Parts: sequence; structure tokens; C-alpha cells
Amino acid sequence: MSFFSWGKAALPTFSRGGIHPDEHKELTEDLPIEAFTPTTVSLPVSQSLGAPAEPSVVKAAKVKRGDVIATVPGGVSLHAPVSGIIKNVQTGPHAALVYDTVITIQAKAAEDEPEFAEEAGWQDLPIAQMLERIRDGGVVGLGGATFPTYRKLMLPKGAKVDTLVINGSECEPYLTCDYRLMLEESDKVVLGSWLIAKIIGVANCVIGVEDNKQPAAEKMRQTIAALGLEKLEPKVRMSVVVTQTRYPQGSEKQLVQSLTGRLVPKGGLPLSVGVVVQNVATAYACLEAVRNRKPVLERVLTVSGLGIKTPKNLRVPIGTSVEDIVAHCGGYSADTVKILTGGPMMGRTIADLDIAVTKGTSGLLFLTAAETSLDGYQACISCGACVDACPMGLEPNRVSQYMEAGRPLETERFGVKECFECGCCSYSCPAKRPLVQFMQVAKATYRRHERKSK
Amino acid sequence: MSESSPTLHLSSGPHIASGRSTAQIMWMVNLSLVPALLWAWAVFGPVVLAIAVSSILGCVVAEAAACKIAKTAMTVFDGSAVCSGLLLAYTLPPGMPIWMPFIGGMLAMFFTKGMFGGLGYNIFNVALVGRAMMMATFPVEMTTRWVAPHLGAAGVDTISAATALAQIKLGGEAALAKLLAAAGDGVWFDYFVGMRAGSIGEVSAVMILLGAAFLLWKGIIKLYIPISVLAGVALLAPFSLSPGLYMLSGGIWLGAFFMATDYVTSPITPKGQIIFGLGIGLLTGIIRNWGGYPEGICYAIMLMNILTPALNDWFRPKRLTADGVPS
Ligand code: SF4
Ligand code: SF4
Repeated sequence: MSFFSWGKAALPTFSRGGIHPDEHKELTEDLPIEAFTPTTVSLPVSQSLGAPAEPSVVKAAKVKRGDVIATVPGGVSLHAPVSGIIKNVQTGPHAALVYDTVITIQAKAAEDEPEFAEEAGWQDLPIAQMLERIRDGGVVGLGGATFPTYRKLMLPKGAKVDTLVINGSECEPYLTCDYRLMLEESDKVVLGSWLIAKIIGVANCVIGVEDNKQPAAEKMRQTIAALGLEKLEPKVRMSVVVTQTRYPQGSEKQLVQSLTGRLVPKGGLPLSVGVVVQNVATAYACLEAVRNRKPVLERVLTVSGLGIKTPKNLRVPIGTSVEDIVAHCGGYSADTVKILTGGPMMGRTIADLDIAVTKGTSGLLFLTAAETSLDGYQACISCGACVDACPMGLEPNRVSQYMEAGRPLETERFGVKECFECGCCSYSCPAKRPLVQFMQVAKATYRRHERKSK
Repeated sequence: MSESSPTLHLSSGPHIASGRSTAQIMWMVNLSLVPALLWAWAVFGPVVLAIAVSSILGCVVAEAAACKIAKTAMTVFDGSAVCSGLLLAYTLPPGMPIWMPFIGGMLAMFFTKGMFGGLGYNIFNVALVGRAMMMATFPVEMTTRWVAPHLGAAGVDTISAATALAQIKLGGEAALAKLLAAAGDGVWFDYFVGMRAGSIGEVSAVMILLGAAFLLWKGIIKLYIPISVLAGVALLAPFSLSPGLYMLSGGIWLGAFFMATDYVTSPITPKGQIIFGLGIGLLTGIIRNWGGYPEGICYAIMLMNILTPALNDWFRPKRLTADGVPS
């Protein structure tokens, strides 16, 4: 889009804003996924968006890998990621909710460990049954959104959908877990994508991969050609599209625009322009749930940052504590100033190592002072960098000024309610203003206000 | 190692930031202004350095005092006070007594920035307010202390009476003819490169463009404002006696690239910036052709500064929706 790219055939991308931070993917991109299982796991029961979960096991009970240990009315269940004994069911820490009910399992292999072997004829199951397996398998959006996947795939009556977008963008710096998954498990990701396309009844599936992950794009293309998908019924036209490396390419609205040219209307879902978006790891999980009847028991995450001794891509059971991962990766250095779950743009800081990996944890970053910014902030100099960077075309500068002036309920016209907290604005601000935070507080003020006036 | 360390920070995202900081931007702007100052040194002699230092000191002292009085963080090192001081010096005649810029800088900084709450809260461009205040306080020194250039031919004969625009304003066609005759064939070259009488920083369009190119390359300024200022000025150039001199002098280039582009006092969106720039250019032309001043870009920019908040309200960024209209 810049003056200098005129004439070059530009890769597809979204139309507005965005940033390109240092990628730091070189720390882990060439490291194969390594399995690691700790001796105990502690699972906070709330692992997906929606109603609170209820434990369905008690202390000292014996569980087998894959057993349901907590249920959510109308939501998806949580399963024992390892066989063993329930050590405890009590209040404990949760990365996002601060506190939650936590089930602790002491791992102990059972005599008859379930195998989750492939079931013949899975391709021809009725759609309803496929959805049921996805629900019972506890599949949620593994890109971090953790919305129950079966609910997203059960299209409302009359919805006209023609395209499935599979999100392999992984636009957050540092993270390489989706990249490794596409490289190492491309057949499962592709089959999972085909499965989702079948469930929602579309004949067109586009897999979006950013330019900095060319090997993954190539691998996915080869897999699509090699798998012989044309033998499967229904036929789905699958393609891999390489997009520009530009954060937040993996955000739904942005990715839909990059890949289909369609603009999701304000406050709407991709569904309203005929698109369903799923993450590559979710496609993989859907396949395992339907084909192998294997629930979500583990996840791949990237452990990285200059603070951790040996960065890794790990496959760990849900409920593995940060402490065990730290120990497995050789500890972190004394100059680590922030530990994050998720990526550096939208991830959260954690204060304690007893936080557990949940279904939505895509990364664990140990950032040193050299990589992160701890500066205080100054007055807005109206440079417009935040406005230029905002992919939604909002005015975070104005919101922050109104917030400082104590006028939070006058910020709606600057786009507070359309902000999805991607962080491009704060990232770009030379005055280091915490613009996302101002947005969050403004949003919360509106929510409180609207509750009160009801 | 690896035990829960007491130094872990908690904050909401994003946890990384671009390398840009306010101070870095300001110091880069200062750097980009250096060529023009070195050029002025060559053309007018070392006195210009003394004027620049005096003006910078005035700004820095006032900023420090304002921070002390308001009990806010000391911001004199962020480069913005130095920047205002430099820019103010650039609008002054090189022959002016060197204590005057100190007073001008101090007054401008204190009343334009300090009283409004510091960087980011000022409505007017600090350097231009300084110049306007000095015009009111030291009218004679501000309009007569020109220095004949040590380089080139233009203006050698006219000595230090007045700039070309002022001479033409007073003397009309006769003055223009005299001036062109005195300057000889090289007049356009001398004006473009900057071998003529004029204010310290505005004599050389070339040096200003050099600095501006650096800022463009670093992504600190965009072209919307400067181009539309120049376009606005050019639109009214045909009404002047000498469109060529009109375009090449009177601080237009300095104003377009360095004064009008001041972040704090200019609009944010491209549309707002274009209207802002055109307004400055047209007002400059109106003041010069039909008003009382030979130059005028200073007042034109200040007038448009007043409109900046309104322009930001009228021309909002385009939203990522089909119609792009903000809520
Ligand atoms: S966090 Fe919100 S305001 Fe900031 S860039 Fe992202 S969408 Fe725009
Ligand atoms: S990037 Fe920061 S300083 Fe620039 S306009 Fe936005 S809030 Fe103000």
C-alpha cells in the first residue's frame, strides 16, 4: 500500500490500519512440537465462553483419560486429560477470571488407557451426529476465543453461507504453535477443514496463511493435493491463500476481508456475509472429536521470549501448570519482567506460576525488559499514529482524551463499542499511551451504565 | 532463578511497542532543521548561531519554569522546547540583537504552551506565537535588521533594508524592477538555493527540502499539509507582481514543511490536513496580495490552528464498514 510497493503484485490484506511488529518467531519456528506430560494437572473448570461450569467428580475419585470431569449447562464439557486420581476440587487461580473451581488430578496410567482409534465411516456420519461429537468433545475456538465450536457450526435457520475460512494466520509475534501444527499435522488440519465445510454445507474453503509462514502454506497445498479429497463426498474446493504479514491478519473481520473482499458490517458476524471462520487448531480438534471420538485433552502452545532458557513448542495436557512448563524449559532468567499467556499483543500478564494452561492458551511468553515496554505515558501529541494503525478506523486518541477529562459516556462516537482490543493503537503511540486500556474502561463504563438504566 | 520473582509486572496488552517515542520524534525534527541553520551560518555569519541559542534558551527556561510551577514532570529533555526555540529563531532577521529572541522564546513558551498544560495541549504553534509577539514588541528590529548575504549576488545592493517581498509591497513595480536589475540573472537560483536577504531559517528552500525529505523518509511528516499549503499559495501567486519571488520567499517552505505540520496544532486525517493546508496557502496569499503584511504565512497558520479542533470533528477517519461513516 505504501508508495514503494506500487507496481509490485501485493499479497491480499485488509484495507485499513494494522502494524508489523518484530516477529521473534525465529526463537521457536524450527522447533518440532514436543510432548510433555506433568505428574499432576490442575484444571480450572471454566474453559469456554458462556455459563459457568460445574465439576462432576469428587475428591479421590478415579478417572480415565477422556472422562468428563465438569459440565456446563448448554455448553461444552471438560475432560480428564490424563488418567489418575482426583486429588482435589477447590477454589484456585485462573488466568483470566482470577479465581475458579479447580480440579487437580494426580496422573497415574490406567490398565486400559483409551486409544482413540480412528473410526471407519466417520466421513458419512449424519451432520447432527458430527455436531454432537464436537460438542461432547469439548471443542472450543482454540485460537483464543474459546467460544463453543458446535454452537458456531450450528448455523441459524435461513443463514446463507458459501465460504469457510480457515485461519492459519497466527499474526501474534512469537507464537509458532499453529505454524508447527500446519507443518506437522497438515493432513489432520486439512481433513478437519473438509469436515467443517461438510457440516456447514459449503463447497468452498480458503485457508489463510501469512507470508512469513511460506513453508506451512506449501505443506498445506501439498497435503490438499495428496489427500485425494475429491474422493470424499461432498466435494469441497480447498485453497491456500498467502496473505501479507500484517497484524491483526488473524482477526475475523480482517481475515474475511483479506480472503474474500467482503466487509463484515458493524456489530455483525462473518456469518452475515456468508462466511464462517475457524482456526487451524480448532479444525484439527474437530477432526479428532469426530473421527477418533477424542475430546480436547491437550493443546499445542509456544513457550518463548528472551526470558525462558529453552524456548519450545509444546503439546501439553490441559491443566499443566506454568510452573511445570518453566521447569521443563530450564527456568527463566532474573531479568524477566513479564510472563504472559497468549501473544504479546493481546495476551495477559500473570503474577503466579500456579496458573494452568487452558484450552485457549496459545503461548507462554517470558519477556525481558529489552522486549517489552514498561515506560510511563505522556500527553497525546495528536500525531495520528493510533488512528492510522487502527484496523477498524476508530479514534483511540479522542477516547483517551475524553477518559482523562472524566467523560467516559461521550466516547461512543469515537468507536469504543467497535474496538476489539487488538492493541495496534497503543503499540504505535509515541507517547506510550495505554489506549487499549482507556477503551476497555470506557466499554466497562458503558456496560455498567446500560445495566443501571435498564 | 525461576522462582516466582518479585519483579513481575502486571498490565494489560499490548506488551510490546514500536520504537517511536515523543522525544525521539522531536529530536529527529531538530536534526532535520540543522542543515538550514548551517546554511544560514555560511550566508549570514556566526551571529545566527547566537540568535538560535538565545531563542532556544528562552524556550527551555520557560518550559522548565512552567513544569516547576505546575509541579509536573520535567519535560525539557523531550526536545520539543528546543524545537520551538529553533523554529522561532528561523523566523527572525539575522541582524537582530541577540537578547531579544530570549525574551520572545520565553514569552511564547510560557503563554502558548505552559499556560495551556504543556506539550499536547497548546492550540497555537509556539514558534509562530513567539514571532507574532516579537513583531508586536520589537517591530523595528523585526523588520529592518536584515543582513546582506555573504554568498551570491541577490540583495547585495539592497543591503539590509528589507526583504524582497517587503520592498515590493512598499515600492510596487518600480521596486521590483530595481531589485531584479540589481540581482542580475542568477536571481531565481539565488532565491531557491538561499543566497539572499531573509530570515535565518527560511532563506534556503533547498535546505528546508533536505530536512523535510529526512522527515518524510522517517515517516514523521506526511505530504498532505505541505503540498496543499504550497498549492494554496500558488493559486494566488498570479495576483502578485512577481509570482516567482512570491513562491520562493517569505518563509513559505519553512512554514509548509515545518510549522504547519506541527502535530499538536494540525488536524489528523488526510482530508482535514488538505483543507488545513489549502486554508493556510490561500490565507497567506490574501494577506500578501490584499492585506497589510508583505509575508503572512505566520498569521495564516495561526488562523488555521484555531480551526484544527473543528477540522478534526468534521473530517473523521473512515471506518471499516461498507459506508465508512463513523458512529
Ligand atoms: S485496540 Fe481498538 S482502537 Fe486500538 S487499534 Fe485495535 S480496534 Fe482500534
Ligand atoms: S498515537 Fe498517541 S500521541 Fe499520537 S494521536 Fe494517538 S494517542 Fe495521541
